[in-house]
Amino acid sequence: MISLIEPTQLKNSLGDDGILFVRNDCIFDTMVKTPLLVASMIIVAALLPIQSSFSSPRDLDLIIYSDGTTHVSTEIDIDPFLTDYELNLFGSSIDNLVVVGDNGFLLDADVIDNTALIQTFGSSVITIEYDIHDLVSKQGRLWTFSLDSGTDFTLLLPKNSAIVGMTNLPINMELINEQNQLTLSSGSTEIDYFFSTNTIVNPIENTQNEKDYSLYVIIGGIIIIILASIIIIIRNKQKNVKVINEVIKIQKNDVLDLETIFKLKPDLREDDKELVKFIFNNNGQALESELRKKFLQPRTTMWRAVKRLEREGVIEIEKKDLQNLVKLCKTMEENN
Amino acid sequence: MKKLALFAIFVLIFGTMSPSLVNHAYGQNDPSILLRIAIQADKQIVNQLNKNYENEIPNNINNLYEKGHTAVKSLERSLSDDDIEKAKQDFLLAMNSFMQISRIISQSTEKVVVVTISEKSNRNMSNELDRLEKYVKTLESISKKHNEIEQSKDEFTKAYSLIKEIRNQITVSENTSKNITELKSLVNSIKSELRNSIAEKQSNAIKDFFEKFLVQIDQKLLEAKDLGRDEIEIDKANELILEIRELLSKNQINSAKAVYSELKIVLKNIGISVKIT
Repeated sequence: MISLIEPTQLKNSLGDDGILFVRNDCIFDTMVKTPLLVASMIIVAALLPIQSSFSSPRDLDLIIYSDGTTHVSTEIDIDPFLTDYELNLFGSSIDNLVVVGDNGFLLDADVIDNTALIQTFGSSVITIEYDIHDLVSKQGRLWTFSLDSGTDFTLLLPKNSAIVGMTNLPINMELINEQNQLTLSSGSTEIDYFFSTNTIVNPIENTQNEKDYSLYVIIGGIIIIILASIIIIIRNKQKNVKVINEVIKIQKNDVLDLETIFKLKPDLREDDKELVKFIFNNNGQALESELRKKFLQPRTTMWRAVKRLEREGVIEIEKKDLQNLVKLCKTMEENN
Repeated sequence: MKKLALFAIFVLIFGTMSPSLVNHAYGQNDPSILLRIAIQADKQIVNQLNKNYENEIPNNINNLYEKGHTAVKSLERSLSDDDIEKAKQDFLLAMNSFMQISRIISQSTEKVVVVTISEKSNRNMSNELDRLEKYVKTLESISKKHNEIEQSKDEFTKAYSLIKEIRNQITVSENTSKNITELKSLVNSIKSELRNSIAEKQSNAIKDFFEKFLVQIDQKLLEAKDLGRDEIEIDKANELILEIRELLSKNQINSAKAVYSELKIVLKNIGISVKIT
């Protein structure tokens, strides 16, 4: 005959084949502190874009002069623990190279073919400016700009130039001092343009008011995430506090609080008060043996103290497994 | 708790993807830019065709133009239908067609002269001067940052005065080569002086860097010796390190840098990477 007394949890966790199933929905709670997890994930998420952009240009801006020479200015994050950095220039015909490191220090650079070996000596960000004559070619009256860039870049075209062909989709276009500035994505780009003096009334309107909202979106996103995390953490804490409060209420509802006890019994000895505090903090009850261990008192001394408190009407003594269980009284009379 | 875990995962995914999402959104900021560029190119091509062929446009060019022009019209429709992907395709098709036309025009109707911009004779003197002026301004701003402007104030004044003089010469079509050479020489001298004066200020930072760097290299050379690497090269490296330390103690930063360049080659020969940790 099957025993009628069977623990409910055991009953639920045993399958038909007697396999023991263990509930695992609390493992996550036990093993991982959620606020810690959320915070670390936010940090990871914030660091990922930084990490991916390490050692690559932050900005790349190009200006094409009307004779086809291009001014390149770029800012690069580099490893500050390196003594030098090898930069791939976009060609070998370079003029007016200036490399500036952290704090505006002028850095030395040796140009060999189309690379520049820059002595960085601990700089973490370097700014490079140079003029290059290899990016634009001219055939007849047609000018062709070609670049294979590893990053998005801006390109300011010369005055009175009119684009007649391109192989890349522009991200944006602005009009700066009557010159078209394109923002282009990374990859191979070819742009053909003519110079036009009388034919084109530039149809491109000024789009300068189209601001780059990307930074605001990123910052906004991070702020929202942080706020949401804080709210969730606070709510979580409040929940915990509520639960704890409820537990305390449940546990201590049926006994008076310490302040009330000491108000009602102002003549209690200090060592007896310590006993009451301990019992109160121990959910309102404790074995006499526990009290002896806690206060390192001989059996008789503790027995007298307990009896004293019983007389005062502060505690009551119950027998439990041949031991004295000392409980705080639920109601007390005031001493006059 | 499950909700929190899901939220945390969402945070991670959002954080990872946000840069690309933002970039994508930015690209879509104003798709009408594509139409503006395409219309501009279309008009320019029509002008070029009228100018070069009048009413006798060759068939191949005419077909290409029709293809491009149709793509521009389609681009306009795609944009009004908010079909961005189609608009992108139309844009690239139109611009590719116009690019082909412009290349055919410049090859067939004109005496083909491929100009290499890197040849100095092909550079525009006014542009050359603009670039030199920009270069001078960059050096001036570096100089200002380090309060070195007083020292080289006269030289910058002279450089700007030369630039002004050359501009006047260009206006009246005078020969500018002498002044250009003088300006370039002056700018090089400014840069050199600036480097030397800043190097003194930079010396502490570089000394600290070298200090850490040389200690590590010492250690690596000992390890290399234990591994039985080329002893002659190792001795050479040790000598160079001593030389660098001596130069640094005398505050001769630029000379120390020069010796460091030699050291790097020797270290490479030994098989030691030069990165401090």
